[in-house]
Amino acid sequence: MSMDREPTVIARTVTRLVVPMILVTAIALLFQGHNLPGGGFIAGVLTVVAFALVYIIFGLDYLQTELFERVSVSVPYDPETGIVKEFGSIFALGLAVAAGSGIVAMAFGRPFLTQGILFVEPLPIYEYLEVASALVFDLGVYAVVVGGLLTITAVVGEE
Amino acid sequence: MQPPGGQFGAFETSQAELGSVKSRLPYHWGVQPDRVVVFAVVVVPFLGAALTPLVYRVLGERTAYYAAAVAAVCLGLVANLGLSGAHGTVSVPWIPEYGVSLAFYVDGLALLIATLASGVGVLVFTYSGGYMHGEPGQKKYYATLLAFMGSMLGVALAADLIALFVFWELTSVSSFLLIGHYQDADSSQYAARKSMLITVAGGLFMLVGFVLLHDASAGALGEATFRLAGDDSMLANAGAMVDALRAEGLFVPVLLLVGMGAATKSAQVPFHIWLPNAMEAPTPVSAFLHSATMVKAGVYLVGRFRPLLFSDPEWVLVFAVLGLVTMTVAAILAVGASDIKELLAYSTASHLGLIVAGFGLSGYVGAETGAFHILNHALFKAALFLVAGIIAHEAGTRAISELGGLREDLPMTAAVTVVAALGMAGVPPFNGFYSKELLFEGAWHVAEHQAGAGSPLWWLLPAVAVFGSVFTFLYSIRFLMLFFGEKPGELGEVGSPPLAMTLPAVVLGGLALVVGLGGVTATVGVHLEPLESFVASVANSAAVGGTEHEAISYHLPTEVTPYVLMSAVTIAVGAVAYPFFDRIRDGVRTVRSVDPLRPNWYYDNGTGALDRSSVVDVVQTGLLRTYAAALALATAGLALGAYAAAGVAVPDLALAGLETALIVVLLVAAIGAVAVTAAPSHISGVLTLSIVGFMVAIFYILASAPDLALTQLVIETLVLVIFLLVLDKLPAFYGGPSRLRAGRDAIVAGAVGLTVTVTVLVSTAGTPNDVIAQYFVANGGVPEEHPAFFLDAGGGGNIVNVILVDFRAFDTLGEISVIAMAALSVITLIAMRDRGETQ
Repeated sequence: MSMDREPTVIARTVTRLVVPMILVTAIALLFQGHNLPGGGFIAGVLTVVAFALVYIIFGLDYLQTELFERVSVSVPYDPETGIVKEFGSIFALGLAVAAGSGIVAMAFGRPFLTQGILFVEPLPIYEYLEVASALVFDLGVYAVVVGGLLTITAVVGEE
Repeated sequence: MQPPGGQFGAFETSQAELGSVKSRLPYHWGVQPDRVVVFAVVVVPFLGAALTPLVYRVLGERTAYYAAAVAAVCLGLVANLGLSGAHGTVSVPWIPEYGVSLAFYVDGLALLIATLASGVGVLVFTYSGGYMHGEPGQKKYYATLLAFMGSMLGVALAADLIALFVFWELTSVSSFLLIGHYQDADSSQYAARKSMLITVAGGLFMLVGFVLLHDASAGALGEATFRLAGDDSMLANAGAMVDALRAEGLFVPVLLLVGMGAATKSAQVPFHIWLPNAMEAPTPVSAFLHSATMVKAGVYLVGRFRPLLFSDPEWVLVFAVLGLVTMTVAAILAVGASDIKELLAYSTASHLGLIVAGFGLSGYVGAETGAFHILNHALFKAALFLVAGIIAHEAGTRAISELGGLREDLPMTAAVTVVAALGMAGVPPFNGFYSKELLFEGAWHVAEHQAGAGSPLWWLLPAVAVFGSVFTFLYSIRFLMLFFGEKPGELGEVGSPPLAMTLPAVVLGGLALVVGLGGVTATVGVHLEPLESFVASVANSAAVGGTEHEAISYHLPTEVTPYVLMSAVTIAVGAVAYPFFDRIRDGVRTVRSVDPLRPNWYYDNGTGALDRSSVVDVVQTGLLRTYAAALALATAGLALGAYAAAGVAVPDLALAGLETALIVVLLVAAIGAVAVTAAPSHISGVLTLSIVGFMVAIFYILASAPDLALTQLVIETLVLVIFLLVLDKLPAFYGGPSRLRAGRDAIVAGAVGLTVTVTVLVSTAGTPNDVIAQYFVANGGVPEEHPAFFLDAGGGGNIVNVILVDFRAFDTLGEISVIAMAALSVITLIAMRDRGETQ
């Protein structure tokens, strides 16, 4: 946000409170996705919303200087030195995880991207835990969405 | 069609006798080529090109030697094919629905072009290592050059017309990039555009010809095919193909269309104009693409189609005349050249004319001329281009008038030039002499035959051949004289070239010398067997109707024949005229400056007129709204048109029975949509627009689709947030649009809305077989009885997500790849746009 119009104290305080809540909600959506509404894509977009809010209220440099403790450089969103590099690694990693989860199935002689379910039981309190291999794939989706959309937001926002 | 080989019965016999002397071939024709080897020949250069950026990071300027190594691998594979005597087709299906396959055919002609592409490639890459030192854009240069080599090998080997066309145009595209190598120079841009426009346009003519051939093949072969060579191909059934074409009256059109492709690619008059401009490219590129290989694609096409389309007199009339006119006109223009590369460019067009003329002539000698001269020309012309590069590099100028007496400073280069330039002039015993002698022989025979049949006009053929050759002699000697005589005072220090530059030139010159000396030794009975049988195998590919020879025979003339006299006249007249070279050159320049005689004048005026015409202003406004409107209207028009053409019935709207809640939600959305158009500012417009989005989300909730609703809400929020981020930078409001523009936009918006509505109605009215849906429902959840670990069911309560990550995970993988790609393009287009070639 341009410097000529500082966001109000209310906006800054609310953002500080809301952003962690959004992030927690996003993670909850990611993990419950297999059985309840949610999933990697929705969780990813929600995470990006949280970051976008930070951008708007605290400015584009905030994440870079505060969170990643990087000195503000002359070209903040240079893809080789700026924060975009981290975003780039996030979506690259996500793509690798998603594709890799498919290749693991091939290593066991199954078709590409075959998913399995493992029930761990008995467990105290929860009785059982359902572990879906699809969660790994969904994590990949999540990372790609977060990395990709953040890259676009950061680069376009810098413009 | 004439009975093949019949018209010069006596002549063919004499050739056969000559051929029968040598039954000592290394070739065992008929061995099926190894599939892996053939495909590797074409794939390796493309792989090499893809890896070039990585290699460049490690090797830097020495990437030249990496590229040379890739070319050497290809040369090795081609040599392997040649020495094993491979002959035949290998193919894999490509688009089976249309009968298109990626088929490669190995025979003499294919091997010759492939050998030139990879062999000259090795030398040119090595030479580039010296020449390109310190030049910009080397990564792109080597990658493009390697990709070009792959395309050229593809052209040489392709046995399927569509595959041939694709590789053909790929060579045009890579040539475009290489001519425009110095991309900031206006002259480079002009030259690159010109060559692209002419060669690609010619390629499209050729494509039409191919499609007509495909049509005709249905009648001739029983089944339509794109297969040009091999079993059950057009070439294997040439007679039936010609009959089918003639029956439909398509023979001459096909001949002309294919000829158009060849003429534009091989710079035949009047399409020769792109070749001199193409000299804007770095000299190694000129040596490789614009003398030894790419321009040979056109003559290759003529040679390849000769057994199929040869006919008397159409074929002879088209190609012999085209070739001889080009040979003469381009040779005259070369005399008028003021720059050494310009001279070589016109000379190249001239010699390509000679090759086309050779293939245009009837009888085995025609095939022989074309085949032999392709080889000879590649050797001496590539050598001369490398020489020209050395001169430009070391003397700092390419102007003919400023150069002279280079012999003392560049002794090795001078020796190469003597061999190559005299070969180009057609002086015995150098290599060009023998193939030119074959041309004279063929032209004489055709004229004799046709004059005997009552058309004495055909005597013009040999006359023009001699006339053109005189000019060839003149400019060749002029080029040679750069190294002799007085060194002009203003020519400064001439350095000595690096070994990487002299060595390739010496190799090419040496090979040309060997070919020439082979003719001398053959006179006394010692033949250069591998060469003679190889050239014969090439000629056999272009020979008509099964006339084949095991070897050709070339040697110095031992008796006086009309064609020997023709050579003698050429050299004598050339030698007498040379002292008056400057006056002839000035004369040529005077004639050349008359506008209506210059094809360039037509080209420049034509493209200039198009440039200035109002069409460009209307279509290319540079405004995003124009392009968006065109895109939206085109999409809507195509979709609606397709529905109308397919006679799709639009189902009735079932409005009755809608829930009240739904109606309210949809009404609010509609009001929101209308309100957007009346919004007084950007901010309020965006906020109003989000009303529509959120109403759609509520609609999803009412329709029991919580996942969709969640996604819609989150996306809507994100879009709103991004809009707010961007809107801050925009002016508050632009002011009201004119009525006209608002009306136009309303039409576009209405058309798009109508299309979407119809599409939704039509697609939801379809009742697809819901087997797949039932399968998802049955297998998505956790089975009642299940082991601790199972693979055969989704095991999730949320069927949408199970479909996304399990049943259709492959689709999702594709979608997230798209997201990653979009992010990458944003990075490259916006964040990296200031970083051009300079690194």
